[in-house]
Amino acid sequence: MLDTPREERFDRVVRLAQQLFDVPAAFVSLVDTDRLFYKAEVGLGKTEAPRAGSFCTVVVEDDEGIVVRDATDDPRFAASPYVTDDPNIRFYAGQPLAAAGGHRVGTLCVYDTKPREFSDAESRLLRDLARWVEKELVVEDELRRAGEVQASLLPRSEPRVDGFEIAGACVPAQQVGGDFYDWQTVPDGAVVLTLADVMGKGMGSAIIAATVRAVLRSSSRRATVEEALADAELALESDLSAAGSFVTALHARLDPTTAVVHYADAGHGLTLLRRAAGDHERLAPTGPPLGMAFGDERVGAEVTLAPGDMLLSVSDGVLDMLDGSLDSLAVLDGVLAGAAGAHDAVERVVDLTRRQARRPDDVTVLALAREG
Amino acid sequence: MNLERELPTPTTAVLRPRGRLTMAAATTLKTAIDGTVADGHHLVVVDLGETEFLDSSGLGALVGGLRVARAAGGDLRLARVGTQVRTVLELTTMDRVLTPHVTVDDAFAAG
Repeated sequence: MLDTPREERFDRVVRLAQQLFDVPAAFVSLVDTDRLFYKAEVGLGKTEAPRAGSFCTVVVEDDEGIVVRDATDDPRFAASPYVTDDPNIRFYAGQPLAAAGGHRVGTLCVYDTKPREFSDAESRLLRDLARWVEKELVVEDELRRAGEVQASLLPRSEPRVDGFEIAGACVPAQQVGGDFYDWQTVPDGAVVLTLADVMGKGMGSAIIAATVRAVLRSSSRRATVEEALADAELALESDLSAAGSFVTALHARLDPTTAVVHYADAGHGLTLLRRAAGDHERLAPTGPPLGMAFGDERVGAEVTLAPGDMLLSVSDGVLDMLDGSLDSLAVLDGVLAGAAGAHDAVERVVDLTRRQARRPDDVTVLALAREG
Repeated sequence: MNLERELPTPTTAVLRPRGRLTMAAATTLKTAIDGTVADGHHLVVVDLGETEFLDSSGLGALVGGLRVARAAGGDLRLARVGTQVRTVLELTTMDRVLTPHVTVDDAFAAG
C-alpha cells in the first residue's frame, strides 16, 4: 500500500474524523522503515514525512493508542521536531492500525496546534474509525491476493501447434472477475480451447470461475466438446443453482492435422470467424448457458480453418465497450482488419480496453489463427 | 432500479423493473418474483418496457424466476422487450425459454 494513490474509501474516514473532532488535521499514515506515508490526509498537504521523532512511531507500538492533551507537557514528545517546529503540534490522538495478519502497519491520527481535552467518548469514536480503516485495509489485501491467485490460473504459455497461432488475454474490471480462458493439448494431439464468462463480476464470480475451469479441464481430456460441456454441466449443476448463477462458454477442439475446429457454444454467441478472404461470420450458440438448460441435449458444430482464417472469441465486456448490441461485432471485425495473427488480434482488443475511461465489465479474448 | 408490482388476479402478477437491471437490482427482482409466486401469483409477466439495460445478473434473476414459477405450476413471461435486452436473450439463446411478447396482454394470452 506504500506510495499508492489516494482512495475515496480512506479519504472519507479522515474527512469525517476532522469534522467530528473539529481539528485542523486528520490522517491515515502507514509506517515505513524511516518515513511515514500518508495514505489519506486533510490539513497536512503532503504525502510523507520523516519517521524520527514522530507521534505515529509511538502510536503504532501502543495497543490502546495514545491521547496527548499538551505535547509540551509530555516528556515523550516535548522535544520532537513536530512540536518544536512546524506544524507545532500540541494536542494529538492516535490509534494503531493492524493489517490482515494482525501486524501493525500504521495509524489513524488527529492533531491540533493548541492543547485540548479528549473525552472517553471521543477516544471510543476514534477507535471505531480506526476499525473501519482496518477493515478497508483487509479487503484490499484479500482482493490483491485473490487477483494474484486468479491470474495464476490463466495459461502461462501458448501451446505450440505447427501451422497455427493461439493467444489469449483477460483484463478483469476489478481485481478479480468471472471471465477466464484456457487451453490444453489433449492425449490425441488436439488442442482444446475455452473461453467462459460466469454471471456477475467480482469475488463471487471468480470463485465459480475457478471451479468451472477445473471441471472443464478434466472433462475435456477424453470426451468430445459437447460431451465435455454436458459432463461439466452435470458436475456444476447444484453449485450453479445454489449460487443462482450460470456460465456462458465457447469450448472448442482443434485437430491440427485437418484444421477442423469442433466446437460447442453454451449461450456465449460472441465468436467471430474471420476468413482470409475478408468476410466474417458469427458462430451462433449451439445451446443454452451452463446452469440454464431446460432439458436440452448438448450439441456441437464444426468449421474448417483455411490458411489465414482466424477464430476470435470475446466476453460480453467487449460488447459493452462498443455499443452493446450485436452490431458491435461488425465494429470489432473492423478493429481486427489486417491483424497479423492471433497475438496481434488479441493485442488490438486489449488496446480497446486501455482507451476506456470506465470499464464496467471484465474483458477476455481468445484467438486461434491458421497461418497463411 | 425502481420496481412496481401489480396483481390483476389472485393467480397473476405484473412486475415492472425500471432503469438498469444489474447486480444489485437483480437480487431485488429475484426476491420480488419469489415472494409473488409464494403468494399464489404463479403466472408472472415481467414488463421490461422501461428497463434500460440488462446484464448477466439481470438475466440470471429472470431465469431463476422462471424456474421458481414453473416449479409452482405457473410460468414467467416477458413483455415489451427493448433492443439491448433482446440482444442478451438472443446471444444466450434464452429467448427460447423466455419468449419476448409485444404487450403484457399478449404475454398473459400466450400458451
